[in-house]
Amino acid sequence: MDQLTMLENKSIFIIREAYAKYKDIALLWSVGKDSTTLLWLCQKAFFGKIPFPVIHIDTGYKFPQMYEFRDHYAKEYGLNLIVGRNKEAIDGGMGPGKGSKLDCCNELKTNALKQTIAKYGFKALLLGIRRDEHGIRAKERVFSPRDENFRWNYEDQPAELWDQYKSESEGEDHVRVHPILHMTELDIWKYVKRENLPISELYFSKEGKRFRSIGCEPCCGPVPSTASNVDEIIDEIANATTSERAGRAQDKEDAYTMQKLRSLGYM
Amino acid sequence: MRKKRCLAVGLDGVSRGLVARFMDMGLMPQVKEILSGGFSLHEMDASIPDVSSTSWASFLTGTNPGEHGIYGFMDLKPNAYSMYFPSYTHMAAPSIWDIIGGTAGDKKSTLLDRYGSRFTEPLRSIIMNIPETYPAAPMNGILTAGFVCIDLEKGTYPATAYDYLKSIGYRSDVDSTKAVTDPDAFFEEVDFVLDRRVQAFDHYMKSQPWDLFIAVITETDRLHHFFFDAAFDESHKYHGRFIDFYRKLDGIIGRLFARFHDLTGGEGFFMTMSDHGFTELKKEVYINTLFQKEGLLHLDETKEYFEQIKAPTKAFAMEPARIYLNHEGRYPEGAVGADEVRGVTDQVKRVLAALTYEGENVIKRIYDNDELYSGEAANRGPDMVCLANDGFDLKSAFKKTEVFGNGRFTGMHTRHDAHSILPDSAAPEKRLHIESLSAIILDYFSS
Repeated sequence: MDQLTMLENKSIFIIREAYAKYKDIALLWSVGKDSTTLLWLCQKAFFGKIPFPVIHIDTGYKFPQMYEFRDHYAKEYGLNLIVGRNKEAIDGGMGPGKGSKLDCCNELKTNALKQTIAKYGFKALLLGIRRDEHGIRAKERVFSPRDENFRWNYEDQPAELWDQYKSESEGEDHVRVHPILHMTELDIWKYVKRENLPISELYFSKEGKRFRSIGCEPCCGPVPSTASNVDEIIDEIANATTSERAGRAQDKEDAYTMQKLRSLGYM
Repeated sequence: MRKKRCLAVGLDGVSRGLVARFMDMGLMPQVKEILSGGFSLHEMDASIPDVSSTSWASFLTGTNPGEHGIYGFMDLKPNAYSMYFPSYTHMAAPSIWDIIGGTAGDKKSTLLDRYGSRFTEPLRSIIMNIPETYPAAPMNGILTAGFVCIDLEKGTYPATAYDYLKSIGYRSDVDSTKAVTDPDAFFEEVDFVLDRRVQAFDHYMKSQPWDLFIAVITETDRLHHFFFDAAFDESHKYHGRFIDFYRKLDGIIGRLFARFHDLTGGEGFFMTMSDHGFTELKKEVYINTLFQKEGLLHLDETKEYFEQIKAPTKAFAMEPARIYLNHEGRYPEGAVGADEVRGVTDQVKRVLAALTYEGENVIKRIYDNDELYSGEAANRGPDMVCLANDGFDLKSAFKKTEVFGNGRFTGMHTRHDAHSILPDSAAPEKRLHIESLSAIILDYFSS
């Protein structure tokens, strides 16, 4: 069996396992490449028709191309699409121009998702996170319990040895399921190519720049790139020396800031 | 009519008391000369907490922290104990250069409400080394950010300014760790960095058009933190170097004043200011250790920083003297219900007020949030903020076993005794506060 088929089988096994355990389950679809890949895998797992809702958290600040893409494929795939918004915060004028970016994310993303989960009573969510995205994800589990405050206790994680997934959980608000945790950014693009998956045009180079990850328009920066199709992206990533989150250099900056603050006794 | 121009020289951590005393000692003849020609040295209050990030944000926005939202160099993310480092992107109020330059965008403030309509023709600013202005946002002019400037390129606008600064070896800050590991090298570095900074000031003053120029020197604060005990103690090993530094600083201020005088024919608006005062540090005081001993704070010591906080914690402190109640609903391990707020607040105040060191009261005053802050960001601020008596530096370190201790610092910030030198035509009617300086500059430009 080739590598991509193995990765695909593993993901499909996790998706089916999750659905068998939790009937109140939904897929979180950001319209980005990872969750769009996951959407595709869910279709494959259930022979073309996803038997649970697909949630899109809409901050109102996504790229116009993302809304077009979402609506087009929601219709084409016959998805049961739930668009989650924190209406109160949006009506209150929350946005990147008001208050801090953290408040904006917290209200328009985190609280919008909390409200959506509460409204529909979901017990499990399928998410397209990947282990190679970020150092903190190294300890993430495929089945990852969260409390009502969305906290993830990274020091008390269920053991998942080899492929023994711990899908049972107790006393938690909901379980997050990560069927593509084992895939890398490069795997995703190779899989996109093999399956000929539709992918947002924002990922392809225009005037020397492309987005390596997409989200809200005011907070996303493109990276310099000439890769204008999937093959060129695969080539670029295979030879990349910078991380996927290069546009999001926050972690490194925080470490530097801490060192500077410590030298003046502020920590 | 001659074009109006303002040069504001910021001197981080330079207190009124120090300037007055050094002038008396004959160490600052140039400043004395300036003061003899229609200028006065004023004592000024800083924002509370009296930390550079907060105070500079108050200066540059002309608002209180309840409006600009910067309460320190670190803060907690909403609904969490994880930290983030507030930067210029988190500042909710527009800066003075945004107001006069027409670049305030969506930002709002009471200062903008008062003055925005008076600036129909955008004015150009050159802003150098103000702390808390990183990352550089596009503006009408040139800006290079001060502490914490993580990356000079991202801290400088526009890109051509970065190219110039890089070419002269400009650095945003000295390496303060050297003050402990190799003091002689530290003093040399202070000289080196200051020289490049002044070179950049000179370059931009004469080569660029501008209306407002803010030039900030931060080496003063670094020196004070580590060597304030050397300021007046002739037997101190580094007294000579401390004094030499101030002689040099006096010369720099004199030269900037003279150049500005030449550029404006003596009709411009010159001023200096600092973001807080400074005094000698007797003892560091670890508030979180005190809270632990009093049963107000409970920690899971396998974790780091504020993530350690666990129920039934009632209160915790964040640098420098911000006190937060562990509110239910606001924090994951929140243990103070709405009906307990009053009782816990009183308990915290009792504990703090009772704190003494060798018979001396540590805390001078405890302010409630609403005594200090007003604006949309006020509810994100601390529940209380302490002001200590001079000599007691309030800290929020977690890993201390005793409430009192000494670290590597010999100087500490004060809320009172910041300074400003202003032309007598703009002399304030009441005691000067850092939050009112921007309005004084805007009054000058719009009068």
